[in-house]
Amino acid sequence: MAANMTFKRIPILLSVLILMLPLTGCWDRREMNELAISLGMGIDRVGKKYVVTVQVVNPSQIAGQKGSGSNESPVRTYTAEGPTVYEAIRKMTIASPRKIYAAHLRVLIFGEGMARQGIGKSIDLLSRDYELRTDFFLLVARGTTAAHALNILTPLERIPANKLYRSIETSEKAWAPVTTVTLDEFVNDIVSKGKNPVISGIRLTGTEDGGSSTDNIKTTRPAIQLENNGLAVFRKDKLVGWLSEMESKGYNYIINNVTSTVGHVSCPNGGNLALEVVRADSKMKGTVKEGRPHLSVELRVEENVGEVECSIDLTKVRSIQELEKRAEERLTRIIRRSLDAGQKKYKSDFFGFGNAVHRSNPGYWKAVQKDWDERFEDAVIDVKVNVKIKRTGTVTNSFMEDKEE
Amino acid sequence: MKGVLQEMSENGKISVLQLMVLVFLYTIGTTVLVIPSGLAATANQDAWLGAIVGVLIGTVVLGLYIALWIVYPGQTFVGICRAALGKWAGSAIAVIFMGYGFIGASTVLFYVGNFFQTQFIPRTPIWCTVTLFALVVVMGTRLGLETISRAAELMLPWFLLFFAILVITLVPAAKYVNVRPMLEFGWKPLFEAGLSFAGTAYMPIVFLFAVFPHVKTPEKAKIGVYVTALIGGLCVVLVTLLCILVLGPNITARSMFPSYALVKKINIGNFLQRVEAVMAGMWFITTYVKTTFYFYGGVTSLSEILNLNNYRNVTLPCTMIVIVLSLIVYPDVVYMQYWDSIVFPPYILLMGVFIPLLLWIIGLFKTKPGQNAAASGKNQS
Repeated sequence: MAANMTFKRIPILLSVLILMLPLTGCWDRREMNELAISLGMGIDRVGKKYVVTVQVVNPSQIAGQKGSGSNESPVRTYTAEGPTVYEAIRKMTIASPRKIYAAHLRVLIFGEGMARQGIGKSIDLLSRDYELRTDFFLLVARGTTAAHALNILTPLERIPANKLYRSIETSEKAWAPVTTVTLDEFVNDIVSKGKNPVISGIRLTGTEDGGSSTDNIKTTRPAIQLENNGLAVFRKDKLVGWLSEMESKGYNYIINNVTSTVGHVSCPNGGNLALEVVRADSKMKGTVKEGRPHLSVELRVEENVGEVECSIDLTKVRSIQELEKRAEERLTRIIRRSLDAGQKKYKSDFFGFGNAVHRSNPGYWKAVQKDWDERFEDAVIDVKVNVKIKRTGTVTNSFMEDKEE
Repeated sequence: MKGVLQEMSENGKISVLQLMVLVFLYTIGTTVLVIPSGLAATANQDAWLGAIVGVLIGTVVLGLYIALWIVYPGQTFVGICRAALGKWAGSAIAVIFMGYGFIGASTVLFYVGNFFQTQFIPRTPIWCTVTLFALVVVMGTRLGLETISRAAELMLPWFLLFFAILVITLVPAAKYVNVRPMLEFGWKPLFEAGLSFAGTAYMPIVFLFAVFPHVKTPEKAKIGVYVTALIGGLCVVLVTLLCILVLGPNITARSMFPSYALVKKINIGNFLQRVEAVMAGMWFITTYVKTTFYFYGGVTSLSEILNLNNYRNVTLPCTMIVIVLSLIVYPDVVYMQYWDSIVFPPYILLMGVFIPLLLWIIGLFKTKPGQNAAASGKNQS
């Protein structure tokens, strides 16, 4: 009986022993303190090599410290070069004590020089690697290298990559001349023959040097700052030029990407009046008439009067109608500007009219898709804008109005 | 103790509802993870239409299985082969069928290992993941049909929950222009895509003939199987449609696991995001059911061919074979994609359509009207 009991215990003992094996943990475990969490990555090209810069969080400066106890920088950048992006990133371990961990990447910046040569090949790694997601924003550093842009420290948001991410996001929602572009959107645009990609730009303002020292964020007005800067227009994966702020805004109106913005119209008696866009909805259409592409943009905007700096009687229905007419004219002008940039200046359909034609007339599209950009150049585009001014804010007439009378 | 071990091969009985749960999860398993990519590669933005065509093809395939079930009531696939073709020829076909059960289990195991290695744990040897998964599969198989069915019943609410979260959270990210223009390339790619869809989702249901004799009320079960298999197919249609709407046809076609790329896109107010590892639970549930019934079909067929009185005796050696086979069945992922798209469709057509069709026609000639009831009565007892 006793022998039988011992015999029965063997399997239990064995399973306990076996269960102890997985206790050692996950094979692929990576502890927090073994990772260099990178929030920003930049790619430049020098000669035949990629120069990759990674902005890594300095955890001791970020974690739960109120105020800046020490003078250590909140981030640290590593730069390495290699014939492929992957090699360059791995090569960073020659300087970094930790392996680069890119799952939390916020922004990917391309130097302008690199963008002009084409960025398609360099982003393959980012879509192939399992660690990366596709929710980070693509940016182009105007007139400088990505490495330089990533070396600038920013106030308010202590991590510069986060600052870039947030300010692009905020600006897109409140001011409209920037567009957030994620990796998969960019890839889709490169692949599709009916739309060329567009990426938001950033630029440095202020002095040429410095910016990488914590001194830069000690003052109320940092010597060197990172700013959003219009949109970079591409043809396939090559940068061909930049849109001005107005053209960028027009672009966002056309692709229905305006959440809110503020514009102005001139009053009948001189002076300006600011209008806040509270709702904007646009439809892009591409049809074929008599064998020629017939494109159109229809924009419906709802606005509020935001600021009155002229003499106008806002209690009258007619003055609102007049303002609506003026706002329509102005928006049409903005959109035309942007369309002209596509048709005349850069000869690139970055709006996606080609895709609209593709959707409405696949047969015609098959015939023209190869030389669509040339056809787009002299296509006729109708612009229809409808503005409704709904509210005038918390007051009716400006107090200046009474004073003058 | 000894008496328990020497019981019949499988004397468990499952209810219609349990069978329906199994069929539902079995149809979705692996299909949902891999098929959208192939569909988008063949039919571009019409991938989801291709999936619908696949469901339509599925109605025919399922009809064939139901018909086969009616002609040979209460028989497993091995039993059907023998009844139709005689002992030797029947067994020969049954051996081919059994072989596919094991190959199927191995390939799905490789899928599991490959998915883990590609997306989560690249440096863990694949045999670890595969062995762990296979151990759970063999455990379920040894415990018997009743246990697996109850486990499936318990897992179903989780699956439904994850699936509902997937659909609801992705609707805001859908871009409706992605599906247009419809039917740009005509109907031909739709049928091609539909065939591969039916091949992955519906034709493997032929392996559930190992389970069908153990359902309590076969009459109701037939309708149940038919309906749930179609609902399962529609779930995959929905995921394919979401892939196209959210990712676009191009990225869907390019992805190794498009539905995983899809859940990575879940982002509600920058708050509910990065949930893909949790959502992957959905695929483990369905893939588990799929692997288990490939394997179950394999081992019960083997024991029936050899006239063993308990299939459990062969489960452990078969597990070892399946684990090793899963490590070598695909030498690399490119070969895997080649095999899945070029070799698998004709293969599964043979196993899942032509052989059952042949057996059905023979069965129609062999059984005169009126004999059906007697035969079924004999097998029920």
